[in-house]
Amino acid sequence: MTPALRPRSLFIALGLLLALALWGSLALGPVSLPLGETLQAALRLLGLPLGGSELNQAQLIVGQIRMPRTLLGLAVGAVLALCGVAMQGLFRNPLADPGLIGVSSGAALGAAIAIVGGAAFGGIPEAIAPYLLSLCAFVGGLAVTALVYRLGRRDGLTSVVTMLLAGIALNALAFACIGLFTYLADDATLRTLTFWNLGSLNGASYARLWPLLLVAFAVALWLPRRARALNALLLGESEARHLGFEVERLKRELVFCTALGVGAAVAAAGMIGFIGLVVPHLVRLLVGPDHRVLLPASMLAGASLLLLADLAARLVLAPAELPIGIVTALIGAPFFLYLLIRGR
Amino acid sequence: MGVTNVSVSIGRRRLGPALALLAALAWLPGARADDALPQRWVSAGGSISEWVVALGGEDRLVGVDTTSLHPASLQELPSIGYQRQLAAEGILALRPDLLLGSEEMGPPPVLEQLRAAGVRLETLSAQADLATLEDNLTRLGALLGEPQRARQALAAFRSRLEAQEAWIAQAQRSQEAPGVLLLLGHPGGSAMAAGPDTAAAWLIERAGGRNLTTHSGYKALSSEALLALDPDVVIFTDRRLLEADEARQALLRQNPALASTRAAREGRLVALDPTLLVGGLGPRVPEGLAALSAAFYPASSPLPAETTPAR
Repeated sequence: MTPALRPRSLFIALGLLLALALWGSLALGPVSLPLGETLQAALRLLGLPLGGSELNQAQLIVGQIRMPRTLLGLAVGAVLALCGVAMQGLFRNPLADPGLIGVSSGAALGAAIAIVGGAAFGGIPEAIAPYLLSLCAFVGGLAVTALVYRLGRRDGLTSVVTMLLAGIALNALAFACIGLFTYLADDATLRTLTFWNLGSLNGASYARLWPLLLVAFAVALWLPRRARALNALLLGESEARHLGFEVERLKRELVFCTALGVGAAVAAAGMIGFIGLVVPHLVRLLVGPDHRVLLPASMLAGASLLLLADLAARLVLAPAELPIGIVTALIGAPFFLYLLIRGR
Repeated sequence: MGVTNVSVSIGRRRLGPALALLAALAWLPGARADDALPQRWVSAGGSISEWVVALGGEDRLVGVDTTSLHPASLQELPSIGYQRQLAAEGILALRPDLLLGSEEMGPPPVLEQLRAAGVRLETLSAQADLATLEDNLTRLGALLGEPQRARQALAAFRSRLEAQEAWIAQAQRSQEAPGVLLLLGHPGGSAMAAGPDTAAAWLIERAGGRNLTTHSGYKALSSEALLALDPDVVIFTDRRLLEADEARQALLRQNPALASTRAAREGRLVALDPTLLVGGLGPRVPEGLAALSAAFYPASSPLPAETTPAR
């Protein structure tokens, strides 16, 4: 299979796409700001003492609403795409996505417990109440993934096939529990739960952003360093072992990175589908399966696509907003089908 | 006055505009007193929007949420989406002074962003009881600068409910309170029955019926449970607002067990507008209650609309 693009031209194209997405995310929104004001507001945010009180509104919108949202989209998109590559590499299957090892369903279960349980019991201390949902989602994702990994291990070896099957079973179990909470929920919490499952970058704020940024940074630094090992893994586990890679450690790292990254992304923005599945696929079609290119390129593409999807989410129905999970699936699924049909 | 002297010295040609400017400045304090009331409102709650309109504030609304369906003219306004999933920038694009909503309005980070942008937030409770309604109407009256009109609306609402109560007491002398079940319809799915903690139960009790359920919230009832409860009256909601007869037939087709309840045998399946059940007590509640009561006590002649003080 010959890749359609040289890596260098792909990176240039993705760099331009990301710049475009960043510009759109900061400059466009339901409130139409003149480009000059956006620029001035951005400069003022960087500390340049520009005058003019009419800039206050622009500065607020760009600085407090669009900027955190853009950073959130950037981090979530990059992490979801990277973890998608990691999972497809680990399972040596292009249909794998981070949901397979239970991160998503675990996080959803954690969220259901937080939303329904929090409403039922009340009495949650003021200090943690706003973070309860994110915290529960993160812990839930990590816990279920840890269980899947644990079930996949026997005699010091991790069987990917057993992990896959354990993942399917635990996903079913988690969704059954979510169903139970859905049944117990009242109308208001039910709507919250439904919307959470569709994902949103709405309401991003710096205070809630930094844990995700830290995790995203760590994952983005760590996973590309495992590109060679992932390439070797493509040949098969024993081949990779013979080539001198510590396969057991690699598997552990991949699972841990994904649990951490996707857990944090889902905790911050809810469930956003299709980025983790489609983006690595797309990039692989463009430049081939070399993980040294695939990982950073997917990261750029994931961040750009999520930002563009979010732009659509906030503009299409303005002043209301579409959950972003709907946009990513609505655009992602037909595009994926198109690629499949064209590739035949 | 010092300012006047300075402007006069500007020269003859500029004097006219300068004086006009001064006159405008002199008017400002007066104008500001009027401006102190928020002029551009966004309402994120169905019954809140209805009350704003009922109190004569419709021209102040510049945006409403997806639950604000009555009166129909509100649906022409920009929609800010679902009340628990508001978007800060979308709302700011409407340049509102005031965002009205219930305690369900959210998410909290978005509300913080709106507050930081200088939008005044007013939270009115969506609890279905009269004390809450009084509090809400008082605050709406103050915000509109129409406290008198709000008081009148509350008094009218109260007296209509009292007249209704008296009528029910009268009717109950000749007929026992019927057992009532309210089913929230989803075309094609099984109907959900309203539990005693819902606004639906409040309506049923106020209209003189006995709510038969014991579960919390809205839960699907099995056919057997439906038969065991054997309601005298079944209230069903239909969002598509079909002709009542057609809706009744559809309901019976979807829930065959319903046909053997006393309610169906005696033809006491009553349609209700589901928007009455959302977001607290709206101005259409007395009317809805009167209609329900009339259906609960068919032997008594219904309370004529004339005897209920209109306003």
